[in-house]
Amino acid sequence: MAAKTYNIPELDTKLADRRYHLTDANPEFTQKILKTSRTIANMCYQCGTCTGSCPSAPRSSYRIRLFMRRCVLGLEDEALTDPDLWLCTTCYSCTDRCPRDIAPTDVIMAMRNLAFLRDIVPKNFLQTCQLIYNSGHGVPNNDVNRAARTKLGLPADPPTTHSYPEFIKGIQKIIDHYGLKENADRILKGD
Amino acid sequence: MAENTEPRIGVFLCHCGTNIAGSLSIQDVVDYAKTLPYVTIADQYQYMCSTPGQKKIDDAIKEHNLTGVVVAACSPRLHEPTFRTATKEGGLNPFRFEMANIREQNSWVHMHGMWEEATEKAKDQVRMAVAKAAKLEDLIPKSVPVERAAMVVGAGVGGMQAALDLASAGIKTYLIEATPTIGGRMSQLDKTFPTLDCSQCILTPKMVDVGRHPNIEMMTYTEVEKVEGYIGNFDITLRKKARGVLTPDEATAKGIVGGGCNGCGDCAEVCPVIKPNPFEMGMAPRKAIYIYHAQVMPLIYTVDFDSCVKCNLCVDACGDKKAIDLEMQDEFITVKVGTAILATGFDLIPIEGKREWGYKQFDNVISSLEFERLICASGPTGGHLIRPSDGKTPMAVGYVLCAGSRDNTGGVAKAYCSRFCCMYSLKHAHQMYEKIPGCKVYLFYMDIRSFGKAYEEFYYRIQNEGTKFIRGRVANVLEDPVTKNLHVYTEDTLLGRPVDIEVEMLVLAAAIQPKEGADVLRKKFGVSASQDGWMLEAHPKLNPCGTTTAGVFLAGVCQGPKDIPDTVAQAEGAASAASIPIHMGEVELEPYFAMCIEDLCAGCGMCVNLCPYAALALGEKNGRTVMVVTEAKCKGCGTCGGFCPGGAIKMQHFTTPQIAAQIDAFFAGGEQ
Ligand code: SF4
Ligand code: SF4
Repeated sequence: MAAKTYNIPELDTKLADRRYHLTDANPEFTQKILKTSRTIANMCYQCGTCTGSCPSAPRSSYRIRLFMRRCVLGLEDEALTDPDLWLCTTCYSCTDRCPRDIAPTDVIMAMRNLAFLRDIVPKNFLQTCQLIYNSGHGVPNNDVNRAARTKLGLPADPPTTHSYPEFIKGIQKIIDHYGLKENADRILKGD
Repeated sequence: MAENTEPRIGVFLCHCGTNIAGSLSIQDVVDYAKTLPYVTIADQYQYMCSTPGQKKIDDAIKEHNLTGVVVAACSPRLHEPTFRTATKEGGLNPFRFEMANIREQNSWVHMHGMWEEATEKAKDQVRMAVAKAAKLEDLIPKSVPVERAAMVVGAGVGGMQAALDLASAGIKTYLIEATPTIGGRMSQLDKTFPTLDCSQCILTPKMVDVGRHPNIEMMTYTEVEKVEGYIGNFDITLRKKARGVLTPDEATAKGIVGGGCNGCGDCAEVCPVIKPNPFEMGMAPRKAIYIYHAQVMPLIYTVDFDSCVKCNLCVDACGDKKAIDLEMQDEFITVKVGTAILATGFDLIPIEGKREWGYKQFDNVISSLEFERLICASGPTGGHLIRPSDGKTPMAVGYVLCAGSRDNTGGVAKAYCSRFCCMYSLKHAHQMYEKIPGCKVYLFYMDIRSFGKAYEEFYYRIQNEGTKFIRGRVANVLEDPVTKNLHVYTEDTLLGRPVDIEVEMLVLAAAIQPKEGADVLRKKFGVSASQDGWMLEAHPKLNPCGTTTAGVFLAGVCQGPKDIPDTVAQAEGAASAASIPIHMGEVELEPYFAMCIEDLCAGCGMCVNLCPYAALALGEKNGRTVMVVTEAKCKGCGTCGGFCPGGAIKMQHFTTPQIAAQIDAFFAGGEQ
């Protein structure tokens, strides 16, 4: 059905048809999630136990149950372009309690992978990739930490790549194998 | 039919609508059947089990002078009796019929894109069935007399109803109950949904009826020890657990005139041992000599020998009635019945196994049965609802539905719906508003299943009273250590917001599971369990009261979750089914029993111990020791026949030549 237009972009967006049409669904999306997550995501019955368990939910607009619903219905774009996708802490509380024995956390991980394939990743995730590439740490040591460690009688740097920078090369090799840094640089530059 | 002529077989294929015809080529199989040896006619029909379908068989037998009939259709468990009757109508012995299961064993498992393969398989199946049909013999079923008595195990509302029906139909009925009183779960309830009848007021009159019915022999504190025999002739050994107290009749029999327990309770008053009363879910005390509650039937005290210290105070208090015998031992008695009904009911699951809801960790988290006792006028608090931590009246109460039901995580959880928790939780919500003006009620649910008569209307009424329905399964519960209030966490899925609701008491509508010990009991009766653990009915739709053991029937929740109306309805169905063989006076047994070919039998007796049904023995015949079969006990399992080193045992209807012919037909691919 041709959408009615008012020739005023703002109004067109505001009054657009928001009903769920069968054409919105991409059944392949559900299949892809099932395969990647290796959990029976199609069996969600929307009980809400997951959101009720989620430490992220009360402090954000993130609703894990909603992502499960999108998975069941194959709402690919809606799922992958929602910035809430990146608010899961991967604590696995939902996976612990889901009465259908689904692993919602793994569904989120699968969706993030699919989003990455479409270059949809928040900046801070990409910057973390760069940090790991350059230092071996997602959160590298800093002066405040060094002072604290010294005060506690610890060596200023932990016995990781910070003390043995020669091992950074190995980490870079792994990251390069997956093209992770390359992609992070590319996406960040494009922003 | 003339025995010496060549076999003449008729083959009939059933489409079963599209159940079979949708997955394989019926026409190809019919054409193929026509090429098989002995096949005189091959035909097909949309529903062979219908009147026109059966008439085809009838007509063909007469027209073609058939000696055997093959129907390729569904499982013999469903329609073998149907087609046997049709075969008989046509003038053949009904055992001249053979069935090829091309539905369950073929079309249903090869449904998608296996047309050719399924058709080929159906040809194999038909060829094998024809080979057997050509070798079938006339068999005459045996009739055995049926004992004019029945047994009902479990005296909850289902068992009581079944016993009353049987007894009123003139059948002597033994009603067996493991606890000291009849009444079961229903006697623990305060009110019943959706009518809000007082449970006791509708149940106790029935208990009295049971107690005084001349045809009912009520045996409480009694368990089934051993079951022997078969339909019509079960010998059931009962263990009468030592009750420590004599009934007036028992006392009279012992020569204590005017003695025996009159229920005065003087004994319990002096008993020094205090234990939790299981009837009150442990929330009220009882003594070591006790009754569950004032309305018990029979009103006879019971000694709990596990906690009795044998101080003899009760014996003195009882005085001249001489009702108490602290040295009493378990007694065994054997009764003979024709049929039996199992009505063993349910327990709640140990809901503390779902750690996240805090049962047995937090004082004010209780189970729904505990709530029933707390709100019941005859309960431990006299119907004043108080919360366990401080005895205060809770002004905000939450109900957790699907607590362990519809849950696939294993452990204590159950995958099935327990079927009555929605409705009793609605009732509980109503009782809150009725008893505690100004209270707040929150009901956490996934779906409200109010399917019964007047149930949806009840839901409407409860919502109108003010209960807040929150659509979200409870994720977890935490306790405020100071107030002992509870925080209930879930998502209001309709709002899309996580919720944290503080209540003063929380009731878990725990899932149910088969009664403890039900598994052991059902095995004694040879009854199977379905995958979910409940007892297995003979057919879920067409024979919901029967079991695979002839003469044994099911009533109530032991077969699967059910509310009171459904339990009573099934109990009446089971009573009706159990009375049929008794009223007929005799039953026909399938003539599949083993036969000893005495000329070949060496009398070694090795088969005797192999028989799982104790149907075999050694005996003298014509001066020789040979095996003798008690035909009524033999179930035709074939264990002995397969074993006999001398080939001296003939399994009727499954003879070696018949089975060999089927195997040959399979391997020979139809070529002779
Ligand atoms: S807990 Fe499981 S079944 Fe319930 S809404 Fe979440 S994913 Fe679905
Ligand atoms: S794993 Fe993610 S979605 Fe699941 S409860 Fe934890 S933060 Fe929420």
